[in-house]
Amino acid sequence: MLDLFPSRNASPFGRRQKRERGARIPVTVVTGFLGAGKTTLLRRFLSSPEGAGTAVIVNEFGAVGIDDALLRSSADETVLLGNGCICCITRSDLQLALRRLVFDREHGTVPPFGRVVIETSGLADPAPILQTFSTDRALGGEFHVDVVLAVVDAVGGDANLDAAAEARKQVILADRLVISKTDLADATAVERLTRRLQLLNPRAAIDIAVAGALDPDRVIAPVNAERSGFVAEAEHSDGIESFVIEMAEPIEWPTFSRAMETLTALRGADLLRVKGLLNIAGCRGPVVIQYVQHLAHPPVELESWPDANRTSRVVFITRGVPERQVRDLFAAVQALASPPQAPPA
Amino acid sequence: MAATESSPAMTSYQPVVWNFKLLAHDMLAGFGGMGEGMSVQIAPDGRRIIWLAHESAPKNFTAVDVTDPRKPKVVCQTDLPHANMRSNSLETCGNMMAVAYQTSKKDLQPAGFELFDISKPENPKSIGFFDCSGPHSRGVHQLWFCDGEYVHCASGSRDFTPTHPQDDQFYRCIDVRNPSKPVEVGRWWMPGTRQGDNVMPPTRHQLDKGYRAHNTNVYPQRPDRCYLAYIDGGMFVLDISDKANPKKISSWTNSPPYTGFMHTIVPLFDRGLMLVTDESTENNAKDWPKLIWVLDARDETNLVPISTCPLPDHTIYAKAGRFGAHNIHENVPLPTAWQNDQIVLGTFFNGGLRAYDISNPYQPKEVGVFMPPAPAGAPTGTIQMNDVFVDERGIVYTVDRHLGGLYILEMDF
Repeated sequence: MLDLFPSRNASPFGRRQKRERGARIPVTVVTGFLGAGKTTLLRRFLSSPEGAGTAVIVNEFGAVGIDDALLRSSADETVLLGNGCICCITRSDLQLALRRLVFDREHGTVPPFGRVVIETSGLADPAPILQTFSTDRALGGEFHVDVVLAVVDAVGGDANLDAAAEARKQVILADRLVISKTDLADATAVERLTRRLQLLNPRAAIDIAVAGALDPDRVIAPVNAERSGFVAEAEHSDGIESFVIEMAEPIEWPTFSRAMETLTALRGADLLRVKGLLNIAGCRGPVVIQYVQHLAHPPVELESWPDANRTSRVVFITRGVPERQVRDLFAAVQALASPPQAPPA
Repeated sequence: MAATESSPAMTSYQPVVWNFKLLAHDMLAGFGGMGEGMSVQIAPDGRRIIWLAHESAPKNFTAVDVTDPRKPKVVCQTDLPHANMRSNSLETCGNMMAVAYQTSKKDLQPAGFELFDISKPENPKSIGFFDCSGPHSRGVHQLWFCDGEYVHCASGSRDFTPTHPQDDQFYRCIDVRNPSKPVEVGRWWMPGTRQGDNVMPPTRHQLDKGYRAHNTNVYPQRPDRCYLAYIDGGMFVLDISDKANPKKISSWTNSPPYTGFMHTIVPLFDRGLMLVTDESTENNAKDWPKLIWVLDARDETNLVPISTCPLPDHTIYAKAGRFGAHNIHENVPLPTAWQNDQIVLGTFFNGGLRAYDISNPYQPKEVGVFMPPAPAGAPTGTIQMNDVFVDERGIVYTVDRHLGGLYILEMDF
């Protein structure tokens, strides 16, 4: 379409956006193990001015929607997805619920909400939820996940992290971490948990919330991709590791794209989350990329860089895909894409 | 498998603000019923002034200092000479402003347009007047003035006797290089609308709003073209390379089956596209749907509609005033106007201000809505957004038709 009706203002990736989500409806995914305090946090958020105009989707593992009942009075619209875990059994229900929200909003049968919060069941793996927004292009065009927030309670959190792979994955994939119930735990336990969370997810800022009291901004403000540049090496459980690939020079889009195609073809299932800002040759602003396993979100060019740093930086959270192999792959594709000039005859 | 519940059906109209940030709202000293003339001037002293035409008497025009868009300040507000007229349309070019005067009945005065020196915004000085009154004329409804030389307008004339009383306004081009002595240099009307034409008058539409000119846009990219909306006559592309003898190149209409009132044509030159708007004129959405149309204009002799900008279900809007398309930001060729061919901003009366991304012109997508609460005392109980202008900084100005005055916004998408 860009070829047929070209625009001087357009980027190769379409209209330049002020921010990653463009005009799409922002989504916050709140995860956390059973009893972590997700609903309490959410109720506090919904009662704040920032929480106005929020539609809530609650996923509960069980036939009776307790959390749904707790939230219904606070939210503009509450949809309960019962009878299963959002990440696997009822992912299509999440899709249906989101589509229904859009439809109902356009037809005036729900209030004109401007934000969606998805509260997952305690057993949910956030990755498939994120994937939903990539696989379902219609939903991806309407919604954008701004924040993945994991709530960990100071009393039982440590034990849950020991016992449940789901709890660890929730922490590893989160953009922000919230430690709840610190008033019920001793300071040493809170400190120990904080250190453990930092090790599991060094990218994520950690907040403390007592009785759900948290700056509403921390629930909704998007996490800038560039922050990922400060990621540190970390030892993860379950063979999960995270690292950052940086490229000082502008990169050609076909080169980056081919490297990622190879990587996703070979190890897509093990790319839990890949997100970053690229300095693409010929582009004015940074290009935001995001992959969840083998699926890529459509890249978006932003209107401007957030600061003077023009280095491309991409955060990888992988299961058993070592940093060196990814670096080598990028180097090889880049070298093959730019063959050395033949010496003059 | 899963239980999906939702609230009971909401059928009431309610305000929506989505992806716009309100910077300021000014009720314009209690005279907030605004027309469809909005233009930004950088005054000689550096202030940024937006000039606004009023929808109806008693006010003529209002100037607002918007140097700081968060702190607008009315610096000038003028009165019309009598209540049986309106100004409705204006344009500025440098320190000169042209203001359209339309009377409520034929053969009243002043009917035409007035030229002002606005170098001192607090004290606009009249420097010329072009009379368009006549026994069959209501004067000027709309004008276009961007080059400091010619006013292109939708106007009647003393020497023009229409075949139907509604068809009194046609395209006229007036040379204002000497502002004290404006001179008509060319005109065009739809064949059949003037007595003596050798073709039959057009068949009347159901709502019968007239086969007459509305917007008369001319851009420096194609100074030899006038993009002319002709209300119930659809739209025309005119060749005005010889101003004295405009010639029709092409035309397009959607009515019937639609109900007429084509309002504005905005060509997007680089992209080979054209935006065409209708105007909703009936309360309670009786003339639904009134739309913004996107045309493939790569061949100007064969205009092809390819999409419309989507609107929400009209039923909840059909209870309070007008709902449907009207004015859009027109990429007015001035240094103080935003130039963009990927975003369309339009006013939809009680549908508020809406923004569309037309990156893919086959699938325009709504990216922002500004439907503020109704101003106190609003006769329809809703906002009635009437016009929009975006300055080169990307600041959006939009006005209410009845009472609300000026809303200043930031695009947040």
